Amino acid sequence: MTGYTLVNILGGALILTSMLVVLSKAPRKAAFLYAVQSLVLISLFVVLGMTTGSTELYTWAGTGFVTKVLFVPLAILFVCKKMGDAGAGLEPKLTPVKSIVLIAIEVFVCFVVVQGIDLPTAADVKPALAISLAHFFIGLTCIVTQRNIVKQIFGYCLMENGSHVTLALLAPQAPELVEVGIATDAIFAVVIMAVVAMRIYRTAGTLDADDLMELKG
Amino acid sequence: MDYATLMMAVMALPVAAAVIMAILPAKATPRPIYETLHVVSLAGVLALAVVLVVGVVGSGQPQDAVGHWFHLDALGCVFLALIGAVGFLTGLFAVPYVRHDVEIGHMGPGQVKQFYVFFDLFVFTMLLVTMSNNIIMMWVGIEATTLSTVFLVGSYNTKLSLEAAWKYVIVCTAGVAFGLYSTVLVYANAADIMADPHQAVFWTELLPYAPQFDAMIVQIAFVFAAVGFGTKAGLFPMHTWLPDAHSEAPSPVSGLLSGVLLKCAMLVIIRFYILAVQCVGPEFPQAVMLVLGLLSVAVAAFAVFSQDDLKRKLAYSSCENVGVIALCLGFGGPLGVAAALLHCVMHGLTKSFVFCLSGNVLMKYGTRDLNKISGMIKVAPATAVLLAIGMFGLSAFPPFAMFVSEVSMFVAGVLSDKLWAVIIAAIALTVVIAAFARVVTGSVMGTPPEGMEKRDVKPFAFVPEIVLAVVIVWFGVAMPQPLLSGIEEATSVVLQQDSDALQQAPLFKDLFAATDGASDVASE
Repeated sequence: MTGYTLVNILGGALILTSMLVVLSKAPRKAAFLYAVQSLVLISLFVVLGMTTGSTELYTWAGTGFVTKVLFVPLAILFVCKKMGDAGAGLEPKLTPVKSIVLIAIEVFVCFVVVQGIDLPTAADVKPALAISLAHFFIGLTCIVTQRNIVKQIFGYCLMENGSHVTLALLAPQAPELVEVGIATDAIFAVVIMAVVAMRIYRTAGTLDADDLMELKG
Repeated sequence: MDYATLMMAVMALPVAAAVIMAILPAKATPRPIYETLHVVSLAGVLALAVVLVVGVVGSGQPQDAVGHWFHLDALGCVFLALIGAVGFLTGLFAVPYVRHDVEIGHMGPGQVKQFYVFFDLFVFTMLLVTMSNNIIMMWVGIEATTLSTVFLVGSYNTKLSLEAAWKYVIVCTAGVAFGLYSTVLVYANAADIMADPHQAVFWTELLPYAPQFDAMIVQIAFVFAAVGFGTKAGLFPMHTWLPDAHSEAPSPVSGLLSGVLLKCAMLVIIRFYILAVQCVGPEFPQAVMLVLGLLSVAVAAFAVFSQDDLKRKLAYSSCENVGVIALCLGFGGPLGVAAALLHCVMHGLTKSFVFCLSGNVLMKYGTRDLNKISGMIKVAPATAVLLAIGMFGLSAFPPFAMFVSEVSMFVAGVLSDKLWAVIIAAIALTVVIAAFARVVTGSVMGTPPEGMEKRDVKPFAFVPEIVLAVVIVWFGVAMPQPLLSGIEEATSVVLQQDSDALQQAPLFKDLFAATDGASDVASE
């Protein structure tokens, strides 16, 4: 098995894990699944690093481990604890079957679009590239279909992971600073979203996005 | 001091002020200390911005700082000037506004501190967007503008303001994630072509290689950039957060958000537009901007008309005007691009002026509901006169500044043979005129609420508003020469052509005749 085959397989695992994040109802469970998904992402960086000989990717794997596997899930678990697991029973707007169908359509469309890209570095990793693009849209799906605003935060994280994989696949030699910039910004985004979610819970006593629809027109 | 140092100083100043204010204890520190730090830092930003803009536009030489990390060209100068001027004036207006909020119990010491700290950080993040040459940092800057303003939008800690803050942060971070994706695609493509992948992250370094980029990647990247940064700019249909956030934020923040931040997002779209034009030609990027622009103008115009909430009306008007900027880019050509840049400036000044006035109205009437606001001319005459000027200014009537940029848009549309789009835009803008005329007849005129005494807001609040009113009349009647040459130079950056080539374009010379005339006189 070549390194690129393994990269493509890990890409498939990314889709599976992100789907589990979207489908899990309770934010606590989603936090653990997101940690698993981030571990898959880190493995992808390591395998890609070994295959392309890019040392930068090892640094990415290191920072990714700290930020994505540890920090983000722990931050969300902390928020859940603070709010006494509120909103864990909120049903998403789509049934699991409909969500899976929607994700399957997204993956298919992304495969079609990626066929049009004619870039030497992309030749060996086209399936993974399509998956990274699809991953981005799965994140968006998570934001749109979830009623629990804490779960919506994971949607953003999945979108960001999708961009990260694309960057690693297309530009494995990218300077560490590029990656660090993105990762730092994402951390700030998660922290701020978590703080706003907690303030909303304190003020309005709800985490349901449908209850936050008073401003209209 | 050289320009590179000045570029760093202009960004460091608001950060330093924010850090000092953040360290000071909220309860033990008297409010005037926060106010002084806030106003002095913003005045410093304005002064440094003026020196930088005069230096860069005057010499025609872009400046770099910290290697290639920061870059200030004429295009960036247009936005730097806007941040400096509007940042200072809305910042000045914030002082009486926050004092009033404290008096009526809407803000406590902690919230006052939070407000001033995040206001300065907000100004810093916009400066970062304007001067970043590193495309990833450009994205980081846009994302940071969202993060620094979330707590400004949610300043009042009420359910509605927190709802607005949540929608703002989730829609904008998700939207701007599209921007990240497009940035990553552009970077990856550049890194593939260029010998040194470390240089591929710099906009000025990768631009010369644009013609060699993969057309499919650039097209996907441009659409993602238009959607992503367009979310932040408030283009339809990604604008959903905007009316909520801009109406719930304290008025000076609404002024800065609408007047300047939306334009900074447009600046990033323009940077991608330049890249796309160089790679795949003008048709594709123009078509994307034309569709988004026309939809925004048409949909937002009716929303402006149907709103009864003054600040939501103004917020939708911002969607409409960002649509006008996109439409100008959609028409393309030297006149279209110049009109887009001119509209960024003119609308930035006019909208921040009117949002400050909405603050006066809130301080006087305690409501944003236009059904409850009437007879202003009798109880708050100075605010009433200024609001009438603002409403006519936003309707783009002569002699106000927006008249010049909107007429330029129409001419650019006719020249690009897109008469159908010009007609749709004209109908939509007529609806906007009707909407604002209703505010003048219903709220400025009419009978005041029973028992309301005749007393306007405190005189200090009028200082920034009168300055803005004078500027929008001045720019509408006699556009200053430095502004015209700045816009001309910025247009040449967007089109990657020199000024002489631009002068050959039909009617462009007429708009910028003063430049030409001045050089003729000099040569004689």
